[in-house]
Amino acid sequence: MGVDFQNVIEGLLVSIQPINLLWVLIGGFLGTVVGMLPGLGPATAVAVLIPITFGMDPTSALILMAAIYYGAMYGGSRSSILLNTPGDGSAIAATFDGYPMSQKGQAGQALTLSAIASLIGGMFAIIGFILLAKPLATFALRFGPAEYFMLMIFTLSAIVSLSKGNMVKGFISMSVGLILSTVGIDLQTGVHRFTFDVPQLSEGIDFLVVIIGIYAVGEVLYNYLAIDSLKAEKKKVGNKWITKEQWKVSKWPMIRSGPLGFLIGVLPGAGGSIASMLSYTTERQLSKNPENFGKGAPEGLAAPESANNAASVGAFIPLLTMGIPGSGTTAVILGAVIMLGLRPGPLLFEDNPEMVWTLVNSMFIGNIMLVILNILLVGLLVRILDTPPKILYPLILVLAFIGTYTLSYSMVDFYILIIFGFIGLFMKLLKFPIAPLILAVIVGTDMEQNFRKSLVAHDNYLNIFFASSIATTLTILTILSVMYPFILGWIQKRRQKQA
Amino acid sequence: MKKLLGILSLLFVMFIMGCSSDGSTEGSEDESNFPEKDIEFVAPASPGGGWDGTARAMQKILTDEEVVDENINVVNKPGGSGEVGWQYLTSKDAHNITINSSLVITNNLLGQSELTYKDFTPLGVLTTEWISIAVPPESEYEEGSEVMEQLKKDPTSMKIGVAPGLGNNDHLSFIQAAKEYGVDVPKLEFQIYESGGDVVSALLGGHIDVASMSVSEAKEQHLAGKFKMIAVSSEERIEGLEEVPTWEEQGVDMVFPHWRGIMGPPDMTEEEIAYWDEKIEEMVETDAWKTLLKNNEWQSYYKDSQESKEFLQQQTENYEDLLNESGLTE
Repeated sequence: MGVDFQNVIEGLLVSIQPINLLWVLIGGFLGTVVGMLPGLGPATAVAVLIPITFGMDPTSALILMAAIYYGAMYGGSRSSILLNTPGDGSAIAATFDGYPMSQKGQAGQALTLSAIASLIGGMFAIIGFILLAKPLATFALRFGPAEYFMLMIFTLSAIVSLSKGNMVKGFISMSVGLILSTVGIDLQTGVHRFTFDVPQLSEGIDFLVVIIGIYAVGEVLYNYLAIDSLKAEKKKVGNKWITKEQWKVSKWPMIRSGPLGFLIGVLPGAGGSIASMLSYTTERQLSKNPENFGKGAPEGLAAPESANNAASVGAFIPLLTMGIPGSGTTAVILGAVIMLGLRPGPLLFEDNPEMVWTLVNSMFIGNIMLVILNILLVGLLVRILDTPPKILYPLILVLAFIGTYTLSYSMVDFYILIIFGFIGLFMKLLKFPIAPLILAVIVGTDMEQNFRKSLVAHDNYLNIFFASSIATTLTILTILSVMYPFILGWIQKRRQKQA
Repeated sequence: MKKLLGILSLLFVMFIMGCSSDGSTEGSEDESNFPEKDIEFVAPASPGGGWDGTARAMQKILTDEEVVDENINVVNKPGGSGEVGWQYLTSKDAHNITINSSLVITNNLLGQSELTYKDFTPLGVLTTEWISIAVPPESEYEEGSEVMEQLKKDPTSMKIGVAPGLGNNDHLSFIQAAKEYGVDVPKLEFQIYESGGDVVSALLGGHIDVASMSVSEAKEQHLAGKFKMIAVSSEERIEGLEEVPTWEEQGVDMVFPHWRGIMGPPDMTEEEIAYWDEKIEEMVETDAWKTLLKNNEWQSYYKDSQESKEFLQQQTENYEDLLNESGLTE
């Protein structure tokens, strides 16, 4: 599994050709912008750009599209931090501590920190890519229905256990999400579930509409209730540069989350949302001060940001080593490069190594460009907070509707958006945690399908949990993560007694 | 702040321009000089998928090669396995055409749609992909017939992977072959994956025993020795894959195309149909079109409007048969 470093160097030389540098810059910038806007994710952006790539050199096209993808990971957290409205599933975790930081007057630092975290995660993933692409691809294949099912159970249990002291509400929220995820055609039987003869519902409710509805529209409605009392006071945006203290607490979480996010990104069918959630919950459990999480802890922002960018790099491994798209965006990228006459498959590394390494090197350069770009943009972006609510919130609403329309060009999604806007409002008023619902909608369909496929594969359903060493590990982790708050409480009680 | 608003409003304008490729649809019935306004291609899927790619590639070829003088816009109407886009087309005039596939027939047979191809005007069949059966490289089976013999003995002994839904081409072609061998079809254990890529990774990881997928999805893996293709649904062996036997050679009288075609709204005049026959025939002769087919591993399967009509009728009968056989319909 040795890496031919000559190819790596050759790839570097191609990737620093001015035209390719330009594509990285354009892609990264576009990605940052679409990532920032609610609903306009990287998949939409790449898809819309496909006609432009017709006639382009396949390598340049790949560089451009990849840059959009990881650029969106940088951009995605901007609106999470400033407005509490994530642009994509992988930016949800950035609202947990990013938004509280910005409320505490540390918006500038939050933005800078998340950009640095993205860079660190991305760098880890690129190094991992260079050294481990092939063995990891083989490892990823061992994930079958049972393993995916357990991974998703683990993610959901982690997120529910996060709502400590409020587990019941977290559980209700998750259950509603799981119910919503059953809407649409059931793949295994072809039965239409809860579609009410609306053809637009047959492919299920797009989780992005749910995110935009609950977060963006919900946030607007919530603030509308108080709009007259909100004054456009000059909010403190704080320093742009992070303090030594912030760096110290978030250094290790960033470094740990890079490899974690990368590994999850490599699994086809997992992705940035799961990666960022898991890294957040892991860091919270490892932290000495878990009570700070959710109140603007810098490490709570840095960890998921590092993980989701690493995941976006990892998602290229199945694509480039086996021709299997590992995420929605890489599926679109695959379609686009096939149109250009390139068919990534198991032989791409052998037949076309310079192209693979050009892409990897361009990711390296792109990540550095993006961190500079994003830090430069901090000064501009924090001014959003100065915008009077009467201008800002209508603007968010407009963006929410545009973003929703680009998902499937259908009016039906507008109704769904509005419904979820009100659901979001009530959840905020009744203090229900939102993340379990959204995450359940994101993973619910896959989780159920994998469960049912694994039932066919294993005669006794209990075998699913111990189908392989991976499944067993995930089962144990799940039990630990559910029990963790109780064990912690028990230990604390004992300590108090002793003291 | 002004700067920011400026940027935002610029983005808006860009987006609105990007989204509003919806041509005007009011049309007079003056057929003497058809077409008299922009052409609209309805891609019944989201940007980035196969249907969208085909529509955009056709748009580019028809324009670049100056086959069609009018502007061509692509509009995406995803949802309901094509249903949303086709539903939309029923109220349009002959300036709007769309892409179809077996789904325009099977959606109706499966009770998911009121529409059949008869509610539209078939304008042509363009391409086909062939469907292959693949097993892991270490598998004991060397030919599709051996898999079928095994399934005949015990229909539940193998997990069969298909995507992206029951009643689609990959699924039905497997059923047709199984039926010919006398396998107890309703007992077969299909695992339905969301996309062809998922089926590929499931087969590579050994989570399914056999998979039915288009040749283009399996070819690279087969050539790299990651899995074995053991049957194809074409009439003759496929170029570049000469070692893979066809079903016909293995004693199954079956040719199963995964075709894509185009159709227009209902009630098109003969003149309008003739216009599209001429233009499409011209398009399929261009080098750009041939390159597109080659890049996508599609085969030319051109049929004009008249032939298409007969073809769709014959396909309907076959699909109906197979769906009944599989137990998906009454």
